Amino acid sequence: MAAPLRIKRQLPFGPWLFAAPGLLVTGAFVLYPFGSTLANSFTDRRTLVPGHFVGLANFRELLHDEMFWTGLRNSVLYILGVVPALVVLPLLLALLVRKNIPGITFFRSVFYTPVVASIVVVGLIWVWLLDERGLVNSLLESVGIGRIGFLSDQWLLLLSAMAVTVWKGLGYYMIIYMAALANVPRELHEAAAVDGAGPVRRFLSVTVPAVRSTMVLVAALSSVAAFKVFSEVYLMAGPSGGPAGEDTTLVMLVQRTGTGLTGRVGYACALSVVVFAVTVVLMLLVLRADRREES
Amino acid sequence: MPMSRRALAAAVVALVLPLSACGSGGDDGGTTDASGKVEGDITFQTWNLRANFKSYFEDLIAGFEHKYPGTHVKWVDQPAEGYADKLGADAAGGTLPDVVNVSPDLVAPLARAGLVLDLDKAAAKYRPEYLDAAWSSHRVPGMNGTYAFPWYLNTGPLFYNKALFTKAGLDPDQPPRTYDELFTDALRMAEKSDGKVATLANVPTIEDFGRYGVPLMNEQGTGFAFNDPKGVELLTKYKALYDAKALDPQALTATGESSGKKFLTGAVAMNPGSALDLGNFKKNAPGLYRNIGITDQITSTGHVNMYVMGVMVNSRTRHTPAAVAFAHFVTDARNQMSFAKKVAIFPSTAGSLDDPYFTKEDGTDETRVRIAAAKSLKNAVNYTPVLFSEQMKTALRNEVAKALQGKESPQEALDNAVKAADRLLQQG
Repeated sequence: MAAPLRIKRQLPFGPWLFAAPGLLVTGAFVLYPFGSTLANSFTDRRTLVPGHFVGLANFRELLHDEMFWTGLRNSVLYILGVVPALVVLPLLLALLVRKNIPGITFFRSVFYTPVVASIVVVGLIWVWLLDERGLVNSLLESVGIGRIGFLSDQWLLLLSAMAVTVWKGLGYYMIIYMAALANVPRELHEAAAVDGAGPVRRFLSVTVPAVRSTMVLVAALSSVAAFKVFSEVYLMAGPSGGPAGEDTTLVMLVQRTGTGLTGRVGYACALSVVVFAVTVVLMLLVLRADRREES
Repeated sequence: MPMSRRALAAAVVALVLPLSACGSGGDDGGTTDASGKVEGDITFQTWNLRANFKSYFEDLIAGFEHKYPGTHVKWVDQPAEGYADKLGADAAGGTLPDVVNVSPDLVAPLARAGLVLDLDKAAAKYRPEYLDAAWSSHRVPGMNGTYAFPWYLNTGPLFYNKALFTKAGLDPDQPPRTYDELFTDALRMAEKSDGKVATLANVPTIEDFGRYGVPLMNEQGTGFAFNDPKGVELLTKYKALYDAKALDPQALTATGESSGKKFLTGAVAMNPGSALDLGNFKKNAPGLYRNIGITDQITSTGHVNMYVMGVMVNSRTRHTPAAVAFAHFVTDARNQMSFAKKVAIFPSTAGSLDDPYFTKEDGTDETRVRIAAAKSLKNAVNYTPVLFSEQMKTALRNEVAKALQGKESPQEALDNAVKAADRLLQQG
């Protein structure tokens, strides 16, 4: 019988050695950029000019910057439009496809396909579909409704981008809900059915409470993603952020302000700090709402 | 726990060292004296040229290394998208290549940051080889130098759909040449097609204001001036086009690609382009190709807009003589002419545009476009102000959109655009 393994000598810095690779990567690619962004937000740094400390000047300026408020409005609207849809629709979809009937795998795959598709390709396809002479407008015209300026009207453009975000995210959250639904005891449904509850009642009184924590998770994840939206709006509304920049989101504004040879890095960093702060507040609000519900 | 403290200190040093290295751009560069021996390793960066012209540049570099033994040129190519961002990151990180392909608006901020060699000092002897207008296109207002060798020039022709012109009752052989003619024809086209065919797909740019005869900057070059009555007049006329659907409803969010697609599908009757587009029409829209008309850019000043590419030398290069010699080699008359025969560009060297290649017809469309463009280049003007940055372009575009939508008057919109551009200009 072999002697039991024994660590002869415990190195006091052993744990640090194990943690070092992760710490280095996190430090170099997360903590340092974060600290640097925070520090730069108090300077007037430009791409090619180091800049000086300007205190809260950048933050004061953004309070008077029309584009900042436009970006904030659009990002908040994006949350209001996208999050409820992404909390409810994938749950319904998961309920539809969780049954093991022949051919269901095909439908699961179809619903999941948009998740793995490139956002650039998806964006271009939707632009073609919604174009003034695209498929959707041709159909609308053929049934007598007439053409709709999905890509030329400020609000329709934002709604179209939201629709793409929801369409692309459905499959991802559907999978999360399917995992949660698998853990709901069948007995609960059977007991409710015995008590005379119909499908809607069972959904509201059994399924929803059972997956509530997953719904909170989906709400948190989707609201953070919605607030930081960039690709969908950029691809559909163009680099200028829609007509007169009215569809610009906060992240688009950060990109537009801080990049290029004459980019205002300090000001873009201040915008990024605001995006970060709002994201943290959002997370806290969702968690607080969950805790209140639990208590 | 002395060991763990030491380990922690080592980890901190390991973390901070590479970061501090990242931040040290350093001012350890070379000299402005280009008269020494041409030798050493240099890096040459182009702007999205490898995909189509790999063999041309490999031969070019081989030719230079053969001419100057002891030199080695490393060629890097960057994609078109995000080129300014890449230059900015390299400049900030101290890794800007020795010789860089730039346009005048890109060279301006680099020159102001002291990162570009002044060729009036380092390479003045080469100046007579280039067209005067091309050489001065890389001057920066407020500075006393020239910051890049002029490379190739271009002035895109304007394509139009003859079938759509005929359908609207317009003479397909008499396309508009001035803005006034354009506005008249565009309104007629919209009226006859019941708003289904627009003539233009893009909102006016700073170059449109220039070609309309609007002064773009004040005489001192210290502020923008395109909000003068002439500018307001142009925007007012564009507003009339937009209201009549003579300007495409999606023009407010159009990109070069999207407007090109609209022209291909016959939704738009006119679109700027280059000789390369003819092949695209032939392949993807044969119906359009049969009806294609080619004319000069619309201008009310008699001058079309000229796009200029340049080759700058990094002021911090360690091999100034080699970098200057290579930048000159790339842009000399022989190599520019050789490049022009591979792609529809035009040399910026004196006398090159008189070559039979740019003057003698051979009956093909490509040659016709080339000769017309070369002819108009002789008195073309670079209407893009060197100091007009991407942020300024966005500000102008957004204000123009507000005027077209009726949210602001043309005067208010241009006043706001000038105010925003001036503020950005002052911020450096």
